[in-house]
Amino acid sequence: MRAIISDETKVRLRYPARAVGILGAVLMIASIMMPWAYGHEALDDMGFYGAPSPLQVFFVILPVIVLLLLAAPLVGKPRLGKFARALAWNTSAKTASIAATATVAVALIDIAIELEGLVNVEVGGWLALVGGIVAIAATLFLPDSPEPTLDRMKSPNWLQILAIVVLMGMLLFTAAFALSLDKAGQFLMFAAFLVGVVLVLRQVGVFAWLGLAAANNNRVLVLSAFIVAFAFPFTQNGSDANMSIASQVLIFAAAALGLNIVVGLVGLLDLGYIAFLGAGAFTAAVLSDSAFATVNFKPPFIITVLIAGVVSSLLGLLIGAPTLRVSGDYLAIVTLAFGEIFRITMNNLDGTDGPNLTNGPNGIPGIPDLNIFGYDLGAVHDILGIEIGRFANYYWLMLIVIAVIIVVFMNLNYSRIGRGWVAIREDELAAEAMGVNAFALKLLAFAGGAFLAGVAGSVKAHMDTSVTPDQYVFLESAFLLAAVVLGGMGTVMGVLIGATILKLLPEKLRFFSDYRLLVFGLLMVFMMRFRPEGIIADERRQLEFHAEDEELAEELEEELITHHGHLNPERKGFDL
Amino acid sequence: MTQVATGGHHVDSGTLLLQASNVTMRFGGLTAVNDVSLNVHAGEIFGLIGPNGAGKTTFFNCLTGLYKPTSGEVRFAGEVLPPQPRLVVRAGMARTFQNIRLFHNMTAIENVMVGMYGRTKTNAIDAIFRLPRHRREELASTERARELLDFVGLVGASDMLSRNLPYGDQRRLEIARALATDPKLLLLDEPTAGMNPQETRQAEELIFKIRDLGLAVLVIEHDMRFIFNLCDRVACLVRGAVLVEGPGNVVQNDPRVIEAYIGTPPEELPEAGPAPEQPAANPGEGNADA
Amino acid sequence: MDLLDLFLQQLINGLSLGSLYALIAVGYTVVYGIVQLINFAHGEIFMIGAFGAYATWMLMGQPTDWNAPMSILVLLPVLIIGGVAASVTVALLTERYAYRPLRNAPRLAPLISAIGVSVFLQEAVRLFYGEIPGFPTAKSAIPFPSIPGISGSAFQFGGVTVQMTAVFTVGALAVCTVFLWFFVNRTKTGRAMIATSQDPDTARLMGINVDKVIMAAFAVGAALAAIAGVAHGLRYSNIDFRMGFLAGLKAFTAAVLGGIGNINGAVVGGLVLGVVEAMATTFIPGQFGSAAWKDVWAFVLLILVLVFRPQGLLGAKVVDRA
Repeated sequence: MRAIISDETKVRLRYPARAVGILGAVLMIASIMMPWAYGHEALDDMGFYGAPSPLQVFFVILPVIVLLLLAAPLVGKPRLGKFARALAWNTSAKTASIAATATVAVALIDIAIELEGLVNVEVGGWLALVGGIVAIAATLFLPDSPEPTLDRMKSPNWLQILAIVVLMGMLLFTAAFALSLDKAGQFLMFAAFLVGVVLVLRQVGVFAWLGLAAANNNRVLVLSAFIVAFAFPFTQNGSDANMSIASQVLIFAAAALGLNIVVGLVGLLDLGYIAFLGAGAFTAAVLSDSAFATVNFKPPFIITVLIAGVVSSLLGLLIGAPTLRVSGDYLAIVTLAFGEIFRITMNNLDGTDGPNLTNGPNGIPGIPDLNIFGYDLGAVHDILGIEIGRFANYYWLMLIVIAVIIVVFMNLNYSRIGRGWVAIREDELAAEAMGVNAFALKLLAFAGGAFLAGVAGSVKAHMDTSVTPDQYVFLESAFLLAAVVLGGMGTVMGVLIGATILKLLPEKLRFFSDYRLLVFGLLMVFMMRFRPEGIIADERRQLEFHAEDEELAEELEEELITHHGHLNPERKGFDL
Repeated sequence: MTQVATGGHHVDSGTLLLQASNVTMRFGGLTAVNDVSLNVHAGEIFGLIGPNGAGKTTFFNCLTGLYKPTSGEVRFAGEVLPPQPRLVVRAGMARTFQNIRLFHNMTAIENVMVGMYGRTKTNAIDAIFRLPRHRREELASTERARELLDFVGLVGASDMLSRNLPYGDQRRLEIARALATDPKLLLLDEPTAGMNPQETRQAEELIFKIRDLGLAVLVIEHDMRFIFNLCDRVACLVRGAVLVEGPGNVVQNDPRVIEAYIGTPPEELPEAGPAPEQPAANPGEGNADA
Repeated sequence: MDLLDLFLQQLINGLSLGSLYALIAVGYTVVYGIVQLINFAHGEIFMIGAFGAYATWMLMGQPTDWNAPMSILVLLPVLIIGGVAASVTVALLTERYAYRPLRNAPRLAPLISAIGVSVFLQEAVRLFYGEIPGFPTAKSAIPFPSIPGISGSAFQFGGVTVQMTAVFTVGALAVCTVFLWFFVNRTKTGRAMIATSQDPDTARLMGINVDKVIMAAFAVGAALAAIAGVAHGLRYSNIDFRMGFLAGLKAFTAAVLGGIGNINGAVVGGLVLGVVEAMATTFIPGQFGSAAWKDVWAFVLLILVLVFRPQGLLGAKVVDRA
């Protein structure tokens, strides 16, 4: 487009273009007061005049943003003050228009599918689509904005904290809303909307500013994030269905974070990681009060967790010690072989092919619910007038486990150990020549990652109430790896997002679940080719993957210093 | 062995630090290092010269544990060195690389702090729970790293990514990183390769400064003028074996050395000759204690 | 059956199983020797070979009534050609789109990409094979066409039963090894492969088209894997979209066992692994000698090799560290 419309044309036409764009935005806003669909079954019923559905209300945020971005500059530069140059007004308006149109398109396609035919798209839907296309067309004629510089502006600390808290609140609200959508079409439309909002905020420069605010108020961020996560079950009105998904997501995320230590921080590819989760789960199962448990030793759960972690890390040492000395490529395959050994062994320890430990393929069912300090995780509790069900209890327990894992991850990363890991990743030989004990550090990561997976596995055993070998197959390891790669190797936030996407999408998009592995396989190939650093990039990882990009290096250097204050030991990690 | 001061340098007859005896390194049929014996004493600058392919870097790799010599023995401060790079570092010998091997995506100060890895003791538990040792060592390491960066002349570059540093600064950063391991002997593999004359002079000053800290330096170089200016003693390695060893002015006038360098333009050698008599090239530093 | 017969029987079984591993292992080793990449998706290439051969059989109108000579001399070669065509095509596409763009990326990148390819290929066969008109769904195992004279035939040799499928597998390996030797040592492309594996940069300077050499390596490996796929189909008389996973893992073990990067090593490694597996199920006493553990013993062997002789039995290509 840039080539088609010359810069002079853009400058000449900027006022008419702005006016047309505003018209498009107004059309879209108006459309939600009209029915989009002829019939009430599609999406969340968009068949009324004057009564927009929740999804329509969400949608309207995007055209309102377009309207604001296009209209505000009309008041003149002086009145906008320092914001005149800080926001990428025009380019953001374009992004927002595209996002709005894409959301409408998803909605219309869903209406056409669900109600069988485009005939069933009503006047409002068409109006929104036309408005969106008009807005896109108009914004194409606006001059491009310079890069946003919002993050360079000084802002008071209270504002930063407020922004973080508001963001977290919004996060809670959107998460609750997204989970309440039980039809694939609704979910897709909302997902399109969310992706659009994220892209627009990034384009405006809000994310860069928020990143700075978050770095400045690390504690506030962490605290509010946990409060929000903790409060999540209260938004579910006593329903445990979504909490079941949420707690599965957390188990998956916990394992992915553990894997991220090995893959993301040290750069070792572990393809049998699920076996460590399995080892933890089986350990907890055989030590549990289940009638099928084969070991006659019933320690309290606190002890079981530790035993599970230790068993997993011993397995990690067993597999790591012989292989971590040889090239990293071998490690990938050996861990894969180890994953198979684990699965086969768990299958065989059934009393006929080996001593009876796991009941073979049947596994260990009937694992009782946990009771921690008198709190029965299996029971429904009434807290603040809201019923907190069984999965919500496990969700909370997993939240604690994840918090521990994150602390371990971050504190190791920003320490002597973490520096050693980066050095090994960059140049193992040079690291050794500087006195870094590469073998010991790799082993530490391997055993440490295994320990965390073992802990997560021990909770999983009680939550699932049964453990069978076929839950711990290679595809699950590949799936965990996909979460790490998609989210961003070496980052906590990225892996949490990656794990959520990978677990949530198949749950919410049932028609898609048969294709999920196909898509994730393809996704890994595409990610490696086009964005190997993942959705959320760790700066250093990004540099490694783009070794020739000098500009990026200059840019990220600044990020490393200004946003993170990498070198101030007080700023990074968590005090305990 | 008593040291003869060369080029006006005064050197203590320091204790024997590095003792390589009959080191031989073979790769299949190729003998890269043949029966080399060398002694380096505390506080001296020892130069290793030789034409390309003479086995200088291979010999370095034998000393620093990257290669296990086929035969022979390397002792450091009386102890036999284990053939493992990190244990060699622990014993007190640190090196730089001919083709700079910094951690490119780490900042300058982080590079130096990696050098301190072997001299710090923070373990996983300290780091996870942010125990006092972590805090103490982290602050001390940061402090020390800044000092070292200042020492090598990289003021203000501490937060730059090492890959963004100019070439000469990368060489200096590598030296700072090696110094961070707190060595008694520093091995420099062609520290001025690719440098312009001014940078070379700065490197020379830096090496004298390091010597003045009480460290011994073993340096490989092609640049003859540089090496004869700098070194108390020089050995010339040809085809894997020591051809001549002795004070700089002796080695540089040895006809066999000149012969070994045939293929380099003949005017280069005479030019290198008067170098020790031109202390103006390195104002003061080297001769301060003369 | 006395002990010697039992031993010989297991030796034959082991050699035929090992030949299968060896045929696949060559693909790992050739590619690794040249680009230092563990082509994780190679097991899937083997699986594609089997499904390609099956597709060829379907396209020929599912001939079942051919007599033995016709089947062996015409049908079998055609199936093999079909399988080879399928796997070579897929392997080259994989190389072009999943690996080549990552040649200068950190080592982790192509490995992850390879895992993605592997999962994708498995799923693609599972989901879409049955969508081809007239084809059976691949969501469960598909019976492989039988070749009269090979499938199900056997002869006695002393006290030892020799399956014709075993003869076919071992024979295929023997023929392929000879061809491979000829290809590597006597053709221009083969010599270019050796040169590239020793020093890709110099090879490029000498005018060798490194891209072509790498493609040749993938193609050769895929062709042999496809033959293994057909042999697998005949041996077990059915094929399955999952078959590449375990076979690939075993073949990789064989390649490491022989010394990765060393073609002869892959052949020797495959045979040794096959024999070890066969012997383990017979001569390890007690519960751990049951067939259920044989894969475990194979992988334990892999780990032991890496501990005690990481360069493999015949020695791997040495990569200089400094």
